Amino acid sequence: MTENDPKPKIGASRRDFLRGSSLAAATAVLTQQVQAEVAAEAANLQAADAKMLSGEVSLSLDVNGKAMTCTVEPRSTLLDTLRDRLDVTGPKRVCDRASCGACTTIVDGAPIYSCTTLAVSCSGKKIETLESFDTGERGVPHAFHQHDGLMCGYCTPGFVTACKAMLDTNPSPTLEEVRKGLDGNICRCGTYVGVLEAALAAAKAMKGA
Amino acid sequence: MAGWPESPRLIGTEIPRLDGLAKASGRAKYPSDMNPPGLLHGAMLWSPHAHAKIKSIDLTPAEKSPGVKAVVGVMKEGATVRYQGEVIAAVAAETEEKARDAVRAIKIEFEVLPHVVTEAQAMDPKSPEVFKGRGLANNTRKGNVQKNGDPEGGLEKADVKIEGHYSAPVITHVCLEPHGLTAKWDGPDKLTAWASTQAVQVTANELAGRFEIPATNVTVLTDVMGGGFGSKFGADLWGLLAAELSKKADGKPVKMFLDRAHEHLAAGNRPSAFAHVRLGATKDGKITGMIAETHGTGGASGGANFPLPYVYLVENRSRSHSDVFVNGGGARAMRAPGHPQGCIIMEAAMDDLADALGMDPLEFRLKNLGERDVVNQGGAPAPINRTKVYQDQVRIGAELIGWAKRKPRGTNGAGPIKKGYGMALHQWGGGGAPDKQVECMINPDGSVEVRSATQDIGTGARTILAIIAAEVLGLEVKEITSNIGNSTFKPGQASGGSTTTPSMSPPCYNAVLAARAELFEKIAPKLGAEPGDLSLAKGQVLVKGEAKMSWKDACRQLGMVPITTLGKFTPGLSANGVGGCQFAEVDVDVETGVVKVVKIVAVQDSGLIIDKMTWNSQVYGGIIGGLNYGLFEERVMDPTTGVMLNADMELYKLAGASDIPEIVVRAYETEEMKARGVIGIGEPPTIATAAAIGNAVTNAVGVRVPHWPMSPMNVLNALASNQGKA
Repeated sequence: MTENDPKPKIGASRRDFLRGSSLAAATAVLTQQVQAEVAAEAANLQAADAKMLSGEVSLSLDVNGKAMTCTVEPRSTLLDTLRDRLDVTGPKRVCDRASCGACTTIVDGAPIYSCTTLAVSCSGKKIETLESFDTGERGVPHAFHQHDGLMCGYCTPGFVTACKAMLDTNPSPTLEEVRKGLDGNICRCGTYVGVLEAALAAAKAMKGA
Repeated sequence: MAGWPESPRLIGTEIPRLDGLAKASGRAKYPSDMNPPGLLHGAMLWSPHAHAKIKSIDLTPAEKSPGVKAVVGVMKEGATVRYQGEVIAAVAAETEEKARDAVRAIKIEFEVLPHVVTEAQAMDPKSPEVFKGRGLANNTRKGNVQKNGDPEGGLEKADVKIEGHYSAPVITHVCLEPHGLTAKWDGPDKLTAWASTQAVQVTANELAGRFEIPATNVTVLTDVMGGGFGSKFGADLWGLLAAELSKKADGKPVKMFLDRAHEHLAAGNRPSAFAHVRLGATKDGKITGMIAETHGTGGASGGANFPLPYVYLVENRSRSHSDVFVNGGGARAMRAPGHPQGCIIMEAAMDDLADALGMDPLEFRLKNLGERDVVNQGGAPAPINRTKVYQDQVRIGAELIGWAKRKPRGTNGAGPIKKGYGMALHQWGGGGAPDKQVECMINPDGSVEVRSATQDIGTGARTILAIIAAEVLGLEVKEITSNIGNSTFKPGQASGGSTTTPSMSPPCYNAVLAARAELFEKIAPKLGAEPGDLSLAKGQVLVKGEAKMSWKDACRQLGMVPITTLGKFTPGLSANGVGGCQFAEVDVDVETGVVKVVKIVAVQDSGLIIDKMTWNSQVYGGIIGGLNYGLFEERVMDPTTGVMLNADMELYKLAGASDIPEIVVRAYETEEMKARGVIGIGEPPTIATAAAIGNAVTNAVGVRVPHWPMSPMNVLNALASNQGKA
């Protein structure tokens, strides 16, 4: 340290810490930790018989109970694979980075943003889109229709899917729980009033009330 | 022609939309869902810079990129790009991933030029003039002063005056389905496009013009579409590029839709509004004069003007408006273009003057409506004085929000959470165009179809035509096929200006009335009756009120030939000119600046309502759009780099389910209003919300929050500024 350097405040800042003699030691510790983690991960991958994918790969997916096959790239998202390769166009691409929920798809029972899920990671999993939902009076789509929980309808597949996934885990939600359950979705037409009514009505209908 | 039925069975009731289940079950096919055989995917190279000259561009690497079938250059070497997002080239490839790779492979060098991206930056005399040759100074086009009466004299006569600076930022449309279309050539001069558009025929004509083929050879299809809000009226450059790429790729279909960032940058926005307002009134609350200087930016293309004064009668007034040009994507019409801005500026000034007068802002507003504000009737029976309508609406709204609980500005208790109430008035046209047509077909099997080249952008237009047909024919709504979204049909209205329903309802009604008359002519002899004795109800043909034959049997009498009629517009079935008022109740935390909207009340007239369910949805939606404008939305530009900082959907904030307050909608639907006929509702209810919220926040915190949105930053800045801390 020279005289012109600002005086350190009481206690050492992170910058002072790194700047000081302990820098080399700290780096060594971090490096050792990282090396250990990398080694562990590599061992895990080997045990799982993982392989590096590149170029185009053939992929079989279980979509709505049907085995569907297509060619994808490892970087292809589940959403683009469903929409472009398999013509399953219910889920929509809107923000393409997991902020609006229009792409919501149920994978192994849990709702996910299919725009930020790699298709190759869904092999062997059960993929459900809203096309497979009950369209009868006890289904979520019917409730959205009857309560006008949609206008242009482009966010609707995401809301319907998120709603179905929520009701599967919480069949009797309060209004506040419905709001929280659907907070991962955005509607631009402003159809929320109908959406909230529809979700509550769907909860009742699914129980046969 | 006849007026609307006096005691309708269906019109005015709540009817779920015809395409609702298809949309809610993922079965509706949007233009962006179309995957015709052989489909290629398009992608575009757009400028990453706000202002730059293209030093060199080489498309060859894209052409050689795997899977690429066509490449089209838009801008050549030496060309100048004027905003981030301006399109430079386009490619079509076998997959979207490959198309994007090809775009990345394009070799391009820019000479980055100085930019201006905010209003302040553009108007700063030290900033560069980036729009040369447009006759601008400081990147600004000064408008003429519009003057009425004696504004200076009026302000001198005032007992109380206020002076305010108010503003609202640029916001973007954020249509959830991006702009774009899928184009496909069938032979050298026949083109089909599935387009996400608010105007199938405008889009078809643009495509026909660009490729110099007969308009009849172009078919634009829009069965459903994912939102437009005023930004989707044509083919757009990307639509033309899709068709050009398809042509180059031997007619294979090409799908070209914008990505989310590009949507924010290049697919339209609502211009900003900045105002310096002086407003004065006598001590009994009559406005004496107003002087307003305003500016705003519509990006690189101008068009930022807005109505001011707004709603209220200001005889002595002057207004000058300047358009500021910035290196940003061009403005487009957005839900009630100009009105939300005019409403914010006017209603903020009205509230501030009421506060300075020590008057209830509601009473102050009522005192300053013109004595008579007669709106265009479009042939409706009796003139409407909108001032009387406003007086009624304000009374109803005040009761519903609990206006009596409102306290004067800044007297909302000592705790950190302050409650406030605010209100605002708005107006809109919403009349019908007189040149649209609807066809009606009654088939021998009893099926009925109405068709026209309009489209349903989510408003319920498809359902409305079916309701009208079912009403006239005594059938159920679901028994009617409403066939729209096809440019080759008879001329239909573009979906803008809240004009679709008032334009399409009269020709639809007339077409179905004519079809019914023809049916009666044909079957009356078989029933041994006069056509005038026949009527229809509950799927039956009645003779002098007695059911004689089922609808299906009656249609079977037509033999092989269906009835086909054409309906045109007749005056008297629709009208123009609506008013409305909205009230907001908010809780504001003055320590964090966070605003929670507790309740919104909207009272709105729109003549005769056809479907109360979709009408309500439109009003709720308008309010929620206004809530977004009032609380969250703002395009954030970085003056240093010239790029938009929130071209996404996490930092570009929009309301989610937890942000939605209690919303009370009241249709102002008196017999007098119903007699006016049909008026559009898409735009009016989105106008006043942001203004009412801003006034409620100001009432709560005790100082004017002059800049929208009512974000924590703007609220805290206003509070700090009042304490001399800004």
